[in-house]
Amino acid sequence: MSVTHEQASPAVLPRPRGGLSARVRRLEATTLVWVAAALVLLFLVGSPVVSLIASSFRSTDTGAFTFDNYAIAYGHLSDLRALGNTLLYALATTALSGVLAVPMAWGISRTDMPGKRFIQVFVLGAFITPPYLGAIAWILLAGPNAGWLNRAWMALTGATNGLFDIYSFGGLVVVTALYAFPYIFVFTADALDRVSSEMEEAANILGAGNLRTIFRITLPLVMPAIIGGAIVVFLDTVALFGTPAIIALPARIHIMTLVLWQFFEFPVRAEAAAAYAIPLVLVTVALFMVQRRVLGRRGYVALTGKGGVRRPTLLGGWRWAMFGYALSVITLAVFLPFAALAQAAFARAWGLGFQWSNLTLNNFTALLSDADSRATIIHSFTYSAASACLAVALALITAYVVTRRLSRFGGALTGLSMLPLVVPGIVLAIGFYSAWSGPPVSLYGTATILVLGFSTRFLPIAYVNCTAGLRSLNPEMEDAVRILGGSRLRAVAQVVVPLLKKSLVGSWLLVFIPATRELSTAIFLVAAHTRVISMMMLDLSENGSFETLAALGFFLLSATILIVALGYRLVGRDFMLRRS
Amino acid sequence: MAISRRTVLLSAGAGLALASGAARAQGTDESGSKKQLYAAAKKEGQVTWYSGILDQPLCEKIAHAFTAMYPGISVSVTKTTSDVAFQRVLQDMRGGAPEADVFTTTDASQMTYLIGKKLLVKYTAENAQGLVKSLQAFNGGGYYQVSWVGQVVLLYNHRRVHAADAPKDWPDLTDAKWKNQITFGSPNYSGLVGVWTVGMTQKYGWSYFDKLAKLNPLIGRSIDDAVTVLNSGERSVAAGNPSSALRSAAKGNPLSVNYPTSSTLIDPSPSAILKGSHSPNAAKLFMEFLAGPEYSQILADGFEQPLRPEVKPPAGAKSLAEIKTFAPSLADIEKLLPGDKQKWRSTFG
Repeated sequence: MSVTHEQASPAVLPRPRGGLSARVRRLEATTLVWVAAALVLLFLVGSPVVSLIASSFRSTDTGAFTFDNYAIAYGHLSDLRALGNTLLYALATTALSGVLAVPMAWGISRTDMPGKRFIQVFVLGAFITPPYLGAIAWILLAGPNAGWLNRAWMALTGATNGLFDIYSFGGLVVVTALYAFPYIFVFTADALDRVSSEMEEAANILGAGNLRTIFRITLPLVMPAIIGGAIVVFLDTVALFGTPAIIALPARIHIMTLVLWQFFEFPVRAEAAAAYAIPLVLVTVALFMVQRRVLGRRGYVALTGKGGVRRPTLLGGWRWAMFGYALSVITLAVFLPFAALAQAAFARAWGLGFQWSNLTLNNFTALLSDADSRATIIHSFTYSAASACLAVALALITAYVVTRRLSRFGGALTGLSMLPLVVPGIVLAIGFYSAWSGPPVSLYGTATILVLGFSTRFLPIAYVNCTAGLRSLNPEMEDAVRILGGSRLRAVAQVVVPLLKKSLVGSWLLVFIPATRELSTAIFLVAAHTRVISMMMLDLSENGSFETLAALGFFLLSATILIVALGYRLVGRDFMLRRS
Repeated sequence: MAISRRTVLLSAGAGLALASGAARAQGTDESGSKKQLYAAAKKEGQVTWYSGILDQPLCEKIAHAFTAMYPGISVSVTKTTSDVAFQRVLQDMRGGAPEADVFTTTDASQMTYLIGKKLLVKYTAENAQGLVKSLQAFNGGGYYQVSWVGQVVLLYNHRRVHAADAPKDWPDLTDAKWKNQITFGSPNYSGLVGVWTVGMTQKYGWSYFDKLAKLNPLIGRSIDDAVTVLNSGERSVAAGNPSSALRSAAKGNPLSVNYPTSSTLIDPSPSAILKGSHSPNAAKLFMEFLAGPEYSQILADGFEQPLRPEVKPPAGAKSLAEIKTFAPSLADIEKLLPGDKQKWRSTFG
């Protein structure tokens, strides 16, 4: 286990002492870059969040200072129960996601398990599946009356009742985790890719078995990544609306986002909604304090200047067990649900069930031949791609400044970077709309406003991932560049970025994919000519066109597989995996 | 308003002929005042519409039909949900001027609020005289007009329930044979379900919902969730929206509609002009269009209820003139809905 402290030597810390001239002399391009990044962050996150906090203390009618919104938001006992349910729901989802993701990530990154690329692609397939479609597919599979799995069970055993009830707390947690676990998977696999085998080998030589090595060496080394992923899953679940609306509502489980929705029914109480969201902000802050305590001052540097070698752990016969585990996870997340959705996507009328005469490709041709739908799909993909680039760039700069302690305001920067994920999308969206649509920036109706909205909303994901990546890099490599006369910018561009290449691509995907399905910010920021996929899905679900909706789900899945395959090709060979 | 003068459509040229033949034959009157309006609107060149009704493709169709009828004026339409559209209007108003000229919502009490804040322009479309009689009174004292009618009827999956056994009227739903078979939305998440809740309580008292609660209904969010749930086979009967059901049935899905014998619940959705908008004249012209026959024909083609008596309803639907309808007054809805939402929480958990 590495005991390197995560800190760089004081020599590289530009901690200006003395007069102004000394400060100016020490001012270098890097400082300008990060100051600019901080200003962008303030604009993107600070302004909407400040307006959110301010509005939580403002009366809806008069605008005067008041605590009434908190009374409205938390006046009912059932709302407090919703808060409790939500925390429990998010905790359970996070725990299950970890159980699903970590073994798979380890299997893919560090063992000789077969079918790695196949599993990886479908994990991202699970991620692209819009939670709304995933939830409906699971109702088709495990609905208590007509679910396929239940009917099969009853037919096989003669039982009068099905085996599963999707409309339950357990059902809610499972369905949510199946589409949230990819966060932890990507974070963890990426971190494991950077851990060289030397320490594991040392443990083996000292007599530790494989399991002991995993739990004492490997997993602790990637703990920041696992915790980072877990925090993202937790916050994402807290803010999720789609799955609870479809499963928790019929199951009569009260969840915060569902309560929040009601503040937007007339009489609209956006201010009460803002007040309702404030405890979530506090929960986030608490999470980061917990993270800091758990990680403590231990070191997690996995990548040093010496270059490492990673040899896959040979699992023997167990490699098939590992593959079986991964296969069953993606079967639950992708294959089974998409089999259920196929019944709709390839049907004239999905309510008729499977019949040869009911089969058609019309849903796909209708979707792709319509110029407006095509434009909508293209909007979503281009806006999301632009958002992912912007978010990753901003996250990398901010995470670098914070992990290398280049600024005294690291804590504040972390806070700013993490807030957007926890503030419920709809509340954040109102903040964006009021901050950006009118003068002075006047972005109303532009694609830019959507790109800014998406980048801000998903910045935390990129930020967490970049932070975990940077923590595993020993700063001595950057120091070497500086000692040899290179600037810090050069160190970042030619050392940090190449070393974290895979991690950055992972972050990019983790922003890109949720951006393609983001509804709550989009619905506030779209105009006639900037429509995106999530709006199309809302229309399709409301006008009863489930066949087209399912076809769109298939299209998204195949498009993602293509993009991911291309992404892996761009990233190229895994530089640490040399086989001798 | 100037006296209507029947004129031949002056420029019955290429652009207009495209619009929609059948409806026009039944008589759009192009009055002198409307011509003036068109001239003024043309100078503005554009009208922006925030729609909380229909879906984006249908809204685009309406936009194109308007431009075909009035060349030189384009329509920029953004379809969101009524709540979001209203939020956007409020935010715009706080910042000075609204982005939208015309605002349509499923929740008429939002209009009451905007009237109270003096944020709407009073305008009565000439074409409104041709709307179904029962809908004409829904005008907010001259501030708005109907643009869509939400209906709640009985739906069933006819592969699972024979027509003879299907519920015919609201009380039939409370029959014990529908245990674990019913689905409907929640007034806490859907405006139309909210109006239905108020309507049913007025007709049958809250005990109606107590009886339904004993049958363990599956409670979705919106009025349209019923179609998904019925098609999936998870439930067999529902209180739902006939438009989404008929649209789905037209593809061959096993859904049937029963208009309740005592009365169908209806909830009109208003459109109004926002004060201080960029194109006040084009807005008025658009309001005329929304009350005209071409618009109603587009609704009918899209499986929605037409608003004018001369336009035939979509296949399988009944016209508003044929059925008994029941619409709780706006005042009643505003007064009773908050309490009913509370009761709903204690009845259904």
